[in-house]
Amino acid sequence: MAEERRLLLRMEQIDKRFPGVHALDHVDFDLYEGEIHVLLGENGAGKSTLMKILSGAISRDSGRIWIGGREGLVEVSDLTPERTRALGIGMVYQELSLVPYLSVAENIFLGGLPRTRWGAVDWAQTYHRAWQRLQDLGVSIDPRAQVRELSVAEQQLTEIARVLESHPRILVLDEPTSALSDTERTRLFELIRRLRDRGVGIIYISHRLAEIPLIGDRVTVLRDGKRIATLPVTEVDEDRLIQMVVGRKLTEQYPWRNNVRGEALLRVENLSLPGVLRNVSFTLHEGEIVGVFGLMGAGQNELARALCGLEPRYTGRIFIANQLIHLRHPWDAIRQGVGLLPRDRRDGLVPLLPIPPNITLGQLCLGSPFRILNLRQEIQIANTYVERLHIHPPILNRPVFYLSGGNQQKVVLARWLCSNVRLLVLDDPTRGIDVGAKAEVFTLMEELSQRGVGILFVSSEMEELLAMANRILVLRQGQISAEYQRGEATEEDLLRSASYEKSNGGSR
Amino acid sequence: MKKKASPLKQQPMMSPPMARPRFNPETLRRWAVQMGALLALLLLVGYLSLASPHFLTPGNIANVARQTAVTTILAAGQTFVILSGGIDLSVAATAGLSASVAAVLMTSQVWILGVPIGPVPFGVGMIIAMLVGLLVGLLNGLIITKGRIPDFIATLGTLTTMRGIALLVTGGLPVPSHLTATELRGYLPPELIWMGAGDVFGIPVAGLIALGVIVVGWCILRYTAFGRAIYAVGGNREAARVSGINIDRTKIMVYMLSGLLAALAGMVLTGRLNSANALMGEGEELRSIAATVIGGANLFGGQGSLLGTLIGALVIGVLGNGLNLLNVSAFWQRVIQGLVIIGVVIFDQWRRRRFGA
Repeated sequence: MAEERRLLLRMEQIDKRFPGVHALDHVDFDLYEGEIHVLLGENGAGKSTLMKILSGAISRDSGRIWIGGREGLVEVSDLTPERTRALGIGMVYQELSLVPYLSVAENIFLGGLPRTRWGAVDWAQTYHRAWQRLQDLGVSIDPRAQVRELSVAEQQLTEIARVLESHPRILVLDEPTSALSDTERTRLFELIRRLRDRGVGIIYISHRLAEIPLIGDRVTVLRDGKRIATLPVTEVDEDRLIQMVVGRKLTEQYPWRNNVRGEALLRVENLSLPGVLRNVSFTLHEGEIVGVFGLMGAGQNELARALCGLEPRYTGRIFIANQLIHLRHPWDAIRQGVGLLPRDRRDGLVPLLPIPPNITLGQLCLGSPFRILNLRQEIQIANTYVERLHIHPPILNRPVFYLSGGNQQKVVLARWLCSNVRLLVLDDPTRGIDVGAKAEVFTLMEELSQRGVGILFVSSEMEELLAMANRILVLRQGQISAEYQRGEATEEDLLRSASYEKSNGGSR
Repeated sequence: MKKKASPLKQQPMMSPPMARPRFNPETLRRWAVQMGALLALLLLVGYLSLASPHFLTPGNIANVARQTAVTTILAAGQTFVILSGGIDLSVAATAGLSASVAAVLMTSQVWILGVPIGPVPFGVGMIIAMLVGLLVGLLNGLIITKGRIPDFIATLGTLTTMRGIALLVTGGLPVPSHLTATELRGYLPPELIWMGAGDVFGIPVAGLIALGVIVVGWCILRYTAFGRAIYAVGGNREAARVSGINIDRTKIMVYMLSGLLAALAGMVLTGRLNSANALMGEGEELRSIAATVIGGANLFGGQGSLLGTLIGALVIGVLGNGLNLLNVSAFWQRVIQGLVIIGVVIFDQWRRRRFGA
């Protein structure tokens, strides 16, 4: 299907080492005009490193890069971010790079605002053109709104609009759908296809295997810094992809087993938060996994935060083991044995501290600030969990900053595993991590629930909820709109319950 | 913490964690981070010992130790604050105020609410100075955490306020002065002078105090929950919060510690000068920040060490001493000191980029 198409990019034998890691081991990669090439791999497999080399953010140790232009392929030796942009490469990263206090329009045209004849900024033009660009993306975001007021999904779309403003011929999208609702995702896919039809080459990085047949033309799988295969999407199925990504067969991606439901552990009565949650009541038992589903902004994240003492202005009553608890601070929750895996990994770790202190961070608040830490024991604990959770690379005195996303997530999980947590609140624990790490997270959830730990599992992935939860609560506009027992619901049921009344596609 | 580690997965997968090598590149990297300041110090000492015959004499070394002591003690407090993600501009003013209050009470009789107080003995004077320092620190901490005011602004405010109060306390005069001295006791206690200017077995007491502060502080940072919390709060406030760390309490404690050390520094300085005055130590707040930054601390918090700060303070101290020995004019000294601070930090950033990412 890509016979007569021109090559836009060729990367050959790209090699890169970081201290202790062979991040890229002589990797080849290419991209044709009008093609969507999916880049797949676990966290730490080298996807981001490869793209950062392409963007000029980091330099390669060896290997050659050719970039197609009007005169055909041209070899480029040293790439810098400026050079990359000039060559027509646009990058949309997972971490957004917008200026929060500027308007959407200003962000889209950052550095190149439309001017009037006198050299002043032409605001009418700016807003009009920004509105048009966003319209092209199929979203209705006010171009005058400040970026910090937008939802994450809207920010992501703004970022995409900004990158498209430079009319790239090669577009790199790093997990663009991780924050998007289904409607927004569908629109984004339409846009990506339109760009492809215009001849833009698109490198699409995603962890969602289900997306690949929807959007990709070819797929390249990386594992441990090596290229495993490059194949047309039509020739692979999901099982095969998983196998290539993790290097083994995942017989059981969802290891759910029926477990004995114990005593009531958490009882929530009429939990309300002004403007977000209204009279939420439910009970969670020991050893039970309760899933929570909702469209973006339905209140599921606030529910998770409230249970961990991060929303002190709640009203209503929360009982843990039949005891009324006032959760005014996170330490109130932690002392009750409640652990939180925050929605954003970056909120869970101290990047410059190494693994051991990050694992034991949740225990600092238990006891006097003047007590002496047991550093030896801390290292032992860290060693245990590095081994058990396969945290890689297992270097205990290097800042966790250098770990990949999935491995960072495992460090946060280890924090609650090593304390005697009774209730674990997981706020989208698999967001932005790969299949292998996901399966490990699920195995841990299963293991914990067998041990009697209650788990509140907030997720935007319906498949995960249906597979892993004993019960699923659906939130709609801050209220519980439905509750399903395991096996009762389908994805359609969840969606319908989440969006019954005047839903508007997840935007605020 | 003490539960059976059930195997996560039955089938063998991925690579088993390898035996960690004895030699760890991370250790080297860690050393390299502190190297910038150390290198600057060694170069400086090397050059000065060649350039001036008076530099490497026991007398001059003791002199450097005495001069550096005050900066080191202040910078130790400053390091705690900077590690926690804050900044304390009021350290020198706090030193001045605590020393002034203590000096007035140690040298004269003051009527407070109709009760005659003083002159108090050395021990009581010390305790009073420390209490004043802790109080200023508490105030800083409360303004910043409960008043939700940026650290920079809050401590800028207390800086001015404390200097003002110190001027009120001393009437703008040095203490003791022939005007405030009473027939009771018009001089500072000898213990205080010993603290600032005396020595044991030829080693300056002030230097020993500074060294003690560094050692104790290092232990606090490394071995206590409080020290760990400081790194966490400075390194990622949100993560610290989610992990249940009491951020407000940590910050207040850090500022109180800084205030306490400022008071100690003020007393050492008073002993050395054999006099206290309201404006003493002016400019020391900036030196303490410079010493911390030269020592490799990150001004945004979460990264740095007291060992680095000690080296940073020595760089500043040795430089000042050396320029004096070389008869460089006071005007040029300032220019050179400023350039050295910038130079060391530039070098440090450059090296960090090379070794870091």
